[in-house]
Amino acid sequence: MALDRNVYAKLQEIVGERWVSEDPVHLETYRCASVQTASHYGPYDNRTPVPQAVVLPGSTEEVQQVVRLCNEYKIGFKASTTFWAAAGYVGDDNSIQLDMRRMNKWEIDEKNQIAVMEPYAIAAQIQAEAMKHGLSCAITGAGCSTSILASTAGWNGGGPSTISMGNNHDNLLGAEWVLANGEIVRLGSLGSGSGWFSGEGPVFSARAVLRGGQGMGGDMGVCTRIATKLSPWPGPDHLPTYGDAPAYKADLPDNFRAYTICFPSWDAWARGYTAFYDNEIIYLGHRQFNMFGRDLKAAMIKIITDPDKQLADLNWLLEDPETQRQNADMKIDTQIVIAGMTERDLAWKEAALDEILADVGAHKSEMMLTKEMVDYTLAYLIRMGHKNLNYVYAGSYEGNMAWSSNVFVDAEWMETVVALKKKWEDEHDYFARVGGDSGLGSMTRAGGGGSTGFEFFIHYDGSDIHSVKGTRKYMDYTPIWMKEHGFGQDLGRVNDTARREDGYSYTQEEHNKLFYGTPSAHLMKYQWKMREMMNPNHLGGTYYRTLDPDYRPDAD
Amino acid sequence: MSIKEYRDMQKRCSSCNFCKWIPFDKVKSARFAENCPAQAYYQYNAYSARGRFQLGLCLVNDELKPEGETQKVIQSCLSCGACDVACKICRYNLEPYEHNLELKREVVKAGNELPVQTKMAESLKEEHTMLIGRKMADRDAWARGLSLTDARAESCDVLFFPGCQYAYERPEEARKAVRVLQRAGVKVGYLFDQDACCGGRMHQMGLQDSFEKAASANIAIWENVQAGCIVTPCGDCYHALKRRYAQLGQKKPVLHLTELLDQLIKEGRLTFTKRIEKTVTYHDPCHLGRLGEAYEPWNGHEKKIRSQIVTWEPRRPRYNGVHGVYDAPRDILKAIPGITLVEMERIREYSFCCGAGGGCRDVDPELSKWTAGERMEEARATGADVLVTACPWCVKNLSEAHSGMEVTDVLTLVCEALEEGE
Repeated sequence: MALDRNVYAKLQEIVGERWVSEDPVHLETYRCASVQTASHYGPYDNRTPVPQAVVLPGSTEEVQQVVRLCNEYKIGFKASTTFWAAAGYVGDDNSIQLDMRRMNKWEIDEKNQIAVMEPYAIAAQIQAEAMKHGLSCAITGAGCSTSILASTAGWNGGGPSTISMGNNHDNLLGAEWVLANGEIVRLGSLGSGSGWFSGEGPVFSARAVLRGGQGMGGDMGVCTRIATKLSPWPGPDHLPTYGDAPAYKADLPDNFRAYTICFPSWDAWARGYTAFYDNEIIYLGHRQFNMFGRDLKAAMIKIITDPDKQLADLNWLLEDPETQRQNADMKIDTQIVIAGMTERDLAWKEAALDEILADVGAHKSEMMLTKEMVDYTLAYLIRMGHKNLNYVYAGSYEGNMAWSSNVFVDAEWMETVVALKKKWEDEHDYFARVGGDSGLGSMTRAGGGGSTGFEFFIHYDGSDIHSVKGTRKYMDYTPIWMKEHGFGQDLGRVNDTARREDGYSYTQEEHNKLFYGTPSAHLMKYQWKMREMMNPNHLGGTYYRTLDPDYRPDAD
Repeated sequence: MSIKEYRDMQKRCSSCNFCKWIPFDKVKSARFAENCPAQAYYQYNAYSARGRFQLGLCLVNDELKPEGETQKVIQSCLSCGACDVACKICRYNLEPYEHNLELKREVVKAGNELPVQTKMAESLKEEHTMLIGRKMADRDAWARGLSLTDARAESCDVLFFPGCQYAYERPEEARKAVRVLQRAGVKVGYLFDQDACCGGRMHQMGLQDSFEKAASANIAIWENVQAGCIVTPCGDCYHALKRRYAQLGQKKPVLHLTELLDQLIKEGRLTFTKRIEKTVTYHDPCHLGRLGEAYEPWNGHEKKIRSQIVTWEPRRPRYNGVHGVYDAPRDILKAIPGITLVEMERIREYSFCCGAGGGCRDVDPELSKWTAGERMEEARATGADVLVTACPWCVKNLSEAHSGMEVTDVLTLVCEALEEGE
């Protein structure tokens, strides 16, 4: 379906000819392959629909004009920045794709510890600039290649910095939002011309409406600027790295410590986590390297920290008794970084850490105490710049079996979940055999101490249909298992109600059937009302789930 | 290989976008964080390595043809390899640089090479140079009057391979290079009427047959040459000789001129006599730096272990820029009295291209010019007086950015400090 010539000409007028294209090579390269990591959706053997055009706006005004044009002609649109997940791509055949990468400006307000940024200012850039001012920014587990604006305004996620800096959606101070109906909303203090210091006033606060807990996934307009809270960075204005690619390491400053903590049991892990939180001693904390899997992590750490090693070395490393002993030692582990604001602060945090470890019977991994390992741990966690080791085995992963609840509940079930995944690994060859436990995640989530942002990684091969289909089978099974065992929705399929298996958005009728009578029905009805008000032509996708309040199943 | 053989790799690209940035551990500012000139200039996804994997899969699936805008995208790749280094920070089983080259070969296979490429190929075939308008008869003119060893008949310490840029466009510098080596007691040989273009740019543009013909002819001639090694002052030639010729069976050691000069300085065979009071910044040529790693033969196959971990049997050589030539030119600069070396933000394996790579000076001059301007802005930000590099293509492209900053090569500074030719 070609875009109306009139519409295309108007798009060219708005953004300039250079910044709009309908050439097949550009349309095809704005499709998400759902066999790949599509962020808690699939894996399915499809691609998202072909957009009618790709538009690269350069300003809020241009975005507004594009959105108004889309409303005039009832054309869908979806804005995205780094195109990392399926949520960023269009969901029907009558939509245009907005690529926001021309909007990449940023500014740091050192005095107020605020960063203001456009969509394509990625986390690595903001952090590099913030460090020059003695500040840093929260970076989600998705890594520093992602847009802070996206994770702050349109999505969610925790990471190593969550424990000291909060979730990005907590840090939203203000936003400039082109609603899906073309109106521009400026949230919080920005709306009263008072700058960016508060997302909740002094004029009107619509933060919860515009982003909520999950974020709107780009379905309710385009956020063109946000302000986010920055946190103190007690390190140098630039963190130099050494070593050969890819095993770069950052010289750990004197006032920093980096450890891998090994717990004797999941109960000890839960008690340790809550004590870490309560005593406010952790700057960065993540169960990170376990993403490689319980049986493989020591060997993988040796590979990724040595530029001369590669995956072909995995088998012989696994046969090494020393590696096996190290693996066993780190069975229930987590990585932490402590930062001292002063010498006394560091000494106190170190003492508190030692006391907590003694109390729960935990210890610091010896393997991870060498200079190279502490330097690598810091380099990894500070910016998640090696985050895409998620894909290292075969290019695809999906996270499921999410644990965001009370850590003491998690602790009780962890080995049961590990056994389930291990059984599938042992009985099938659908995904990498890593020892069952590939759970990783943050130390806190919304709700503070005692909660986690855990998920279990499943490493599969997106080019191998046997691997894709088998992984899908497992992903189909785990929500059933979780329901049977009294848990909530499985993270791995959380976006299956946002996009259909064929890659398209749901129709309202389909969403009505999906959500009617579910525990979230009232929320979906509320969102239906919000959408009618702000997006009357339904021009986004269906990541913003809705239920028609008048829907009754009998009416079908 | 053919593009179809890249299908699994295309499907295994995770769309993570690391290929658009320098390795994140190396980001020092928001301004100079991007690594791919084509992506940074044209902006659309297709121009990135990730987009090129998607594009390539569409070619395999017959959803796109290597023509029109698709062809333009493919040919905009500067073959600088920056995406390859960034990708391999986390991936051990993707080869974006080789895939980008395969896409270019696909355009040529479809008969869609550009007129300028055809002319270059014709020039290479008839005049043994890709510099259109230059004649083979003039190729050794630069060498007249020098007491060079005739490598066609005599043995020598090094066979000097000037490359087309030095032979035709920088003859004085070529002469200086030889004189400096001779001053250090090196017996320098030259092939005179048998010296010819390396053909490397044909390879970078996807004209593989033309490249291989040129390479095979050179290799055949060199088999009869008695020389300890081949030395070239050109980054492009270095990559061709060190990596690509080796794939075709060339076995003689290959050195870049800066490697040899560095060695001679460290051995005390060259002593600087003049101070040069300048602050300089060094630009790493892509084909000398991250693409300057030596070829390692490998004959194996993919093997999955532990169900779905993709690896290789036997262990496969890994090219990720680590072992390129970075220190020799820097060590030379540091050894010159009076010179202060300050670094740009994007250096060594994550250096930013000068814009001349991949034949883009001829194929996409607009992109080439923009890239040079971008690099010169980064150089100016260091506060240096001079940008120094070690490849004549970089010198040419960066000079033409007209940034107001002096651009020169390491050899020129070495000669000045040795008072050679003054």
